Amino acid sequence: MRKIISLFLVISLSATMVFASGNSEKEASKTSSNDETVSVMIWDPNQEAGIKEILADFTTETGIKTDIQIVSWNEYWTLLEASAKSNDLPDVFWMHANSALKYMENDLLLDVTDKIAQSDKIDINNYYEDITELYSLDGKNYALPKDIDTIALWYNKTYFDEAGLAYPTDDWTWDELIENAKELTKSDGSVYGFTLKNDNGQGGWFNMINDANGYVISDDKKTSGLDNPNTLKGMETMQKLLDAKVMPSQEIMSESEADVLLGSGKVAMATFGSWMLSAFKQNEYISQNCDVARLPKDATTGRQSSVYNGLGWAISANTPREDSAWKVVEYLSTKEAQIKQANLGVTMSAYKGTSDGWVNCAPNFNLQAYIDMQDDMVMFPNSKSGVKWNNAIYDCMKEAWMGQITVEEACIKGANEMNAIIAEE
Amino acid sequence: MAKKGLKNLTQRNTFMWGWILVLPTVIGLVVLNLYPMLSTIFQSFFKTGDFGRGNTFVGLSNYSKLFKDKSFILSIGNTLKYTIIEVPISIIISLVLAQLLNGKIKGKDIYRTIFFLPMVVAPAAIAMVWKWMYNSEFGLINNIFHISVNWISSPSIAIFSIAFIGIWSDIGYNMILFIAGLQEVPTDYYEAADIDGASGFRKFYNITIPMISPMIFFVVVTRVLAALKVFDFIYMIISRANPALEKTQSLVYLFYTSAFVENEYGYSSAIVVVLLLIILLITALQLIGQKKWVHYN
Amino acid sequence: MGTLQLKDKKMKKKNSTSIYIHCFLILVSITMLVPFVWMFLTSFKSITESTQVSPFVIFPSKWDPRAYTRVVAYINFALLYKNTFLMILFRIICAIITASMAGYALGRLKFKGRNLVFGLVLTQMMVPSQIFIIPQYVMISKIGMTNTIFALVYPGLVTAFGTFLMRQNYMTLPKDIEEAAKLDGLSIGKIFLLIMAPLTKSSMIALSIFTALFGYKDLMWPLIVNTRKESLVLSSALAKMQGQYTTNYPELMAASFISCIPMVVLYIIFQRKFIAGIATTGGKL
Repeated sequence: MRKIISLFLVISLSATMVFASGNSEKEASKTSSNDETVSVMIWDPNQEAGIKEILADFTTETGIKTDIQIVSWNEYWTLLEASAKSNDLPDVFWMHANSALKYMENDLLLDVTDKIAQSDKIDINNYYEDITELYSLDGKNYALPKDIDTIALWYNKTYFDEAGLAYPTDDWTWDELIENAKELTKSDGSVYGFTLKNDNGQGGWFNMINDANGYVISDDKKTSGLDNPNTLKGMETMQKLLDAKVMPSQEIMSESEADVLLGSGKVAMATFGSWMLSAFKQNEYISQNCDVARLPKDATTGRQSSVYNGLGWAISANTPREDSAWKVVEYLSTKEAQIKQANLGVTMSAYKGTSDGWVNCAPNFNLQAYIDMQDDMVMFPNSKSGVKWNNAIYDCMKEAWMGQITVEEACIKGANEMNAIIAEE
Repeated sequence: MAKKGLKNLTQRNTFMWGWILVLPTVIGLVVLNLYPMLSTIFQSFFKTGDFGRGNTFVGLSNYSKLFKDKSFILSIGNTLKYTIIEVPISIIISLVLAQLLNGKIKGKDIYRTIFFLPMVVAPAAIAMVWKWMYNSEFGLINNIFHISVNWISSPSIAIFSIAFIGIWSDIGYNMILFIAGLQEVPTDYYEAADIDGASGFRKFYNITIPMISPMIFFVVVTRVLAALKVFDFIYMIISRANPALEKTQSLVYLFYTSAFVENEYGYSSAIVVVLLLIILLITALQLIGQKKWVHYN
Repeated sequence: MGTLQLKDKKMKKKNSTSIYIHCFLILVSITMLVPFVWMFLTSFKSITESTQVSPFVIFPSKWDPRAYTRVVAYINFALLYKNTFLMILFRIICAIITASMAGYALGRLKFKGRNLVFGLVLTQMMVPSQIFIIPQYVMISKIGMTNTIFALVYPGLVTAFGTFLMRQNYMTLPKDIEEAAKLDGLSIGKIFLLIMAPLTKSSMIALSIFTALFGYKDLMWPLIVNTRKESLVLSSALAKMQGQYTTNYPELMAASFISCIPMVVLYIIFQRKFIAGIATTGGKL
């Protein structure tokens, strides 16, 4: 009998613990002001340390606590979607051009237009307009710009020295890149000149398209530009790269990301977004052997563009902590916080003119290249079904990368699929 | 007359107690399993909108789309390939190991511990380390043996590399079950066979296997079931850019992508229903086939 | 030949075969252990060392524990252990209680509807679990219980497999004790609780181990239902670690290693019970 009673007690105690662990968070979160912890969600582990520091300053200043969690990119959107469905979104989270429209149109992001207008700490005109635009709908703002990123070319100085080649200059063309890549590729397959994966549009082949005055999606976001004549001309560069066999096989590229390939000395050059800086700063091999230059330009048009994007700090429309969440986002967007973000090497700021700290935070790298790329920027191509057609066109490109079809055929196929998906929006 | 009345009383009593005891499980099964299963089958005839809002009836079009989709047909083949390789090989190896470890052998306990180890480790961790070991450039296998095989990115062999991981992790579990089965075999049979001068192999084939055939049957059925549902390893190891994707993704992997990445609840439900039918078919075949080779006492 | 010489010959034969056997066993053992050893070695290398190919690095030149310190800093393993443990604990409790009750009823009592219930149990066992997953998820989110321990336990509140296992066990118990208790006037409920259930200890242990193991390894359900950092379990946390543009192998291996430890330690301590438990699940069916 005693055994049964004690068993019963254990079970009921544990049961209360179970339900308590679920509910106490929710109850605690419903009480106001300083008791609440604002949940913050991001996907880049390399930016975490810097952002945590800034948030710590915020807590010191306001007493409001924050709790940051990282969810890897692959899971981020799945998780966000699931959270949206169960009305369980984090208070503050990163928004990306890929999904901004979808979230805004479905009323999942808090309208912060009035808050911005009434704030004495921030002025919406201080940020890059295009990025602010990304996160606004029908004249209302749904997220504050966090950063701006551009793409540049990283190269292995040691390999260039060994081959007796001059480092990439600000005037390089894509053709010169291909020529140099040929020289740097070793016949035994131990080193390849360049790497560019099929699913790397923003950091890779979209730039070739833009340089040739082509486009990925039309300005009205209704048609694909992948079959546009200029686009196809720009993509000839990609075909040349594949034909020259200066890149590792698709097998290798799918198993190991470009950063691993550069950091292990497997490739001599690769293109990366400015967000990779934190990771590269910590990598011994890259710090000692690599440097960065501007992206090459198109030989015919002379254009040297970079796709750019900026993340936004969004607030869940249904957050029980609207005021605290807003304070967090407001703080992160102030000039001081943006400068600090840059100084810590996290990313270039969305606040105009505050990125000098970023440029100087790693003196062994020529980070000015990223700033220079801002001279000609093309917004990251996006629409409501962005995630879907991005995956579709990457799958088409995969076939070209694997040599099953030509790049031109892949572009046309991709355009058709993209149009079909956009039509369903 | 009185006896009959008593019988009715006991019957009603038993009825009441029976249902009281069985009620939690029944409620659970209905709420957690029966209803969801019917709901999923129902859902397979619909198309879902943004964030699960809005459903439109589309009849059988999810199914016709499925069977026109090349990657779906391939995934059925991939799943079957995985099953046909993983199950027999892991069972044969574990049978041999069980036989070896059943007798008097030095270090029996240590071997048992080691062989069972993969079973207690999370599949996610196993997948991570095997993916790393299989890496064609930096992995352990290619670098130790100085070969360069695309273990997990070659369309023709990726599924088999994954099957090997399955075999690796299942051997210990199967072996334990077989050892338990072996221990139930009465020794008199073996003694009689010894007197007749039967060789080790004959003893194994004519006595051991028939005697533990119920256990083998149980292992085959459960392992086939698990193999048809393979997901974890493929999910963690094969990325979307992998050339081997189409020739490796399993039915459940396709289901996951469709349900949780592309948020097509209707379409993914159709995938699961097809999987269900395949499983029912294969299990039925196994149950029928058991009469031919399984010996019950 | 004399009998002594015959015996000698037989012994020699036995010794040579046993060398082959041992070689085979050792080879299998090495195959079993290599992944764990490699996980351990990689976790102590620097990023550069882990991807070096010429020459290939097997042992780290410096045993650098930074991968561990970094991983432990941004993943709260204690919380993961706690969540995983609670999930398993409650699944076990639910399984044992519901499965014993139902198993006894289905195995020892004759009542109308018994076969229907048993059919329900068998159906659930055969059907792939993915067929339940979306509606279960919708149910949990509708009652607002995502990201709780309850959500993790939800699919395991009842267990068809456990019910089946316990039923088989109850069927093998002798009838006389039951008869005697009935004559003594005990109600069926008391007979079950006080007399019959204690006789099924070994199956209950087996069921616990089985439930623990499969709960611990479950990936898809925890992945989708408990997505917040504070409610993750070991399996889903690990799956979420693979990044978009960067891969840090030492950290990945360190995290994998840390997640393996609890189960491995428990296993080594309770080896015999583990193995006996698994054997019983097969034996009773």
